[in-house]
Amino acid sequence: MSCVSPESKPDWKAYVLREMSADAARQAEAHLATCSICHEEVATLRLTLDTLSTLREEEMPRRIAFVSDKVFEPRWWQRVFNPTFAAGALVAAAILIHGFMGTSQSQVDAAVAKAVAQVEARHMQEIQAAYEQLDVRDKQVANLVRNAMLSQ
Amino acid sequence: MIFREVEDPDLIAKARRGDVEAYNLLVSRWEKRVFNYLLRLVSNREDAMDVSQEVFLKAYQSLPKLDDPARFSGWLFRIAHNEAFSLLRRKRPETSLLGEPRPAEALLESGPRLLPMELSLAVETALGRLSPDQREAVLLKVYQGFKFEEMAEILECPVSTVKSRLYTALDLLKTTLAPMHKNAFLKQSLRGEL
Repeated sequence: MSCVSPESKPDWKAYVLREMSADAARQAEAHLATCSICHEEVATLRLTLDTLSTLREEEMPRRIAFVSDKVFEPRWWQRVFNPTFAAGALVAAAILIHGFMGTSQSQVDAAVAKAVAQVEARHMQEIQAAYEQLDVRDKQVANLVRNAMLSQ
Repeated sequence: MIFREVEDPDLIAKARRGDVEAYNLLVSRWEKRVFNYLLRLVSNREDAMDVSQEVFLKAYQSLPKLDDPARFSGWLFRIAHNEAFSLLRRKRPETSLLGEPRPAEALLESGPRLLPMELSLAVETALGRLSPDQREAVLLKVYQGFKFEEMAEILECPVSTVKSRLYTALDLLKTTLAPMHKNAFLKQSLRGEL
């Protein structure tokens, strides 16, 4: 059976790649049921995709280094441009500017207290994260020991 | 009890708050897919491994810049695409981007009776015959399952360009892999009978 003109022929690649809207797919399927030329084209496209799917997924030679590893540590300029560091720097700059402009001692004290609180909060977060990491590693070691004992 | 896996956006939110383990989990979820995508693009295991490492490092450092955590996969593959093509550009003088002839070329002529390993090698060779742009379009669509719009974002080009690259690649692969079709068809029939 002859096919519709190339301009109005369904986009069969979009069809097999599931990129067609539901309505367009229904219309295309109705045409497919009556057109042997398009039927063959779709069959060949599906076979091509099936053949492509035989490509084996390769195992990685090694795992990606995790963020706790050295490689993930930020460089010096990234530390400088870190938002927390930048916030601290802004506070420090504000204190200095206020100082030069003859701001009262109480305002300076408040700004210093704020900056100190920020630094302390950051340190607490770092300590908490370090504890969590230690916790995870402890569990991993405990698992390794338990597995080793079970295998004996 | 229904176990609900932690979604990527939740992990991203935690990682942004400094939860290292959350990012580790994201890495372990995506590393193999990213590595395989890069391996097919750069055609060298060590390069693919190095670039994968770089991709996850850059992703970690740029995590605060990710606008929509729901689109993490596309964003991650965009970083991978940029890193891979940066490497290909650096290596262009020594190795052709069009790929070099491989010993497995003969497999493409050897007809339908191929072992699964040989079939996989033949597909790899057929992919190697495509231009990097065409190959990448196939990798993103067929192996990674991205939609045309997502591919356009990853590749930073119009959807029409994505379709053009992918359709040309499929036409070329259809011809190159024609001798292998019977094999795939046979396997398909066997699966149907089982």
